[in-house]
Amino acid sequence: MLNTALRRHAPFWISIAAGIAIWEIAGRSTSQAFMVPFSVTIKALWQLLLTGEFIRQFFDSAELFLTGFMLSLAVGMPLGMLLARVRVLRIGVEPYIMILYATPMVALIPFILSMMGFGFAPKVLVVFLFAVFPVIYNTVEGARSIKPELIEVAQSFRSSEWALWRDVMVPYTLPYAMTGVRQAIGRALVGMIAAEFFLSSTGLGQLIMTASQNFDTAGVFASVLVIALIGVALMRAGLVIEQHFARWRQ
Amino acid sequence: MNQQQTAAKAGHDGEPRIRVRGLGKHYGALEVFKNIDFDVGKREIVAIVGPSGCGKTTLLRCIDGLLPHDTGEILVGDTRVTEPIAGVAMVFQHFGLFPWKTVSENVAYGLRMAGAPKAEIARKVPEFIKLVGLAGFENAFPYQMSGGMQQRCGLARALAVEPNVLLMDEPFAAVDAQTREILQFELLRIWQERPTAMVFVTHSIEEAVLLGHRVIVLKGRPSSIHETIVIDLPEPRTRETLQHPRFAVLRERVWSTLMAEAREAEFVLER
Repeated sequence: MLNTALRRHAPFWISIAAGIAIWEIAGRSTSQAFMVPFSVTIKALWQLLLTGEFIRQFFDSAELFLTGFMLSLAVGMPLGMLLARVRVLRIGVEPYIMILYATPMVALIPFILSMMGFGFAPKVLVVFLFAVFPVIYNTVEGARSIKPELIEVAQSFRSSEWALWRDVMVPYTLPYAMTGVRQAIGRALVGMIAAEFFLSSTGLGQLIMTASQNFDTAGVFASVLVIALIGVALMRAGLVIEQHFARWRQ
Repeated sequence: MNQQQTAAKAGHDGEPRIRVRGLGKHYGALEVFKNIDFDVGKREIVAIVGPSGCGKTTLLRCIDGLLPHDTGEILVGDTRVTEPIAGVAMVFQHFGLFPWKTVSENVAYGLRMAGAPKAEIARKVPEFIKLVGLAGFENAFPYQMSGGMQQRCGLARALAVEPNVLLMDEPFAAVDAQTREILQFELLRIWQERPTAMVFVTHSIEEAVLLGHRVIVLKGRPSSIHETIVIDLPEPRTRETLQHPRFAVLRERVWSTLMAEAREAEFVLER
């Protein structure tokens, strides 16, 4: 039993070990200003953790990420379902969503800066704008694929509009919306760092900027590594939640 | 006049439950049906047969208030139907179960929409699950069940609101032949226990004759009632009904009426 489990997961762990080994070797054979080995990165991360600086900046970033991300869910999901339900609205709004979805949001940051300045709100807006469109897009696509028969059943049983949303629209659409949510996680992380780079410098973004300016490559790598791992963990969590909501699909 | 006699003959005295008067329906330029007139007694099953595309399902949706009609009127009791009304429940061809709800939750759905108190739902849901023979599958999801079991669930959902009108939209068309037969007799058994006014739309002549007290044949484009055939078979209808000599005669009668229509329809297409 243990053997099978070991064999199944062996390629994964071998690949991770190989990646770390290559990183280590590459780091050791280049200038420390460009590249640091894995061991030095971990040591730098440990130092950052000990000073408490990292934890503080981490929670700063987490606050920004969660605020913007949650806002994108709170707006994106209901709006997506509304657009799917009200045809006129969808036809009117869809082109703007397509345009904004395709726009590189980084390009809008100078505009947001000049409009809103350096506070917390403009940074939240950046995270929100990065994250909200995949949520809207996937929710609309999901909600539009509801079988008209099911809407008809609800009408036949004299469902109110509110009950139609609660019992039909939301449970049907959630698994589809979650696909957008997983995309939004990655985009929100990009938005978070971009906002911390280009607006008021805080959080992990600031840590990376400062380390980079001091040629502290280990500090940069340590922060980036943490962000990447959090991103992976969040997307895994998103997948688990998606599968939970989709368990009724064969 | 004829219809009243029929109702009296079938022993369904009193006012009819459903009255359809001069009903007509268009889809844009296409006239689906016109001048539809019929009644359904309080304890009567009326089967509607007709070739594909004759508008039987559309007619049923008009009676349920899911679709608006253009001319005429539909009365259920004293209520003029313009939208789905209380006391009328529909069983759908493709079951119409919510795939994310269990059997229990699906059966509870109609009751919840009707605003039934929690205690009543808790009492009725198991009762109707048992009635349709789904006991033990309360927590199953639709995808875990066969088509026949799914339609039992659809039937339980409709029955649970204790409607006085049941509208059946080819309910057994999507299940295999054996299951279909089983479900027909299940439906007859349940109807004997809890008789209601029922409109049963079907493609199957046999099914129409077996279940219906009257069979309405829709014909033409736009369609209208071509013939109403009284099915004077002994009650209750059971498996023996299929062996009754009168059953074969009535089936033949509906068949020849329908086939004449089918031949004409073919000619229309060829022209």
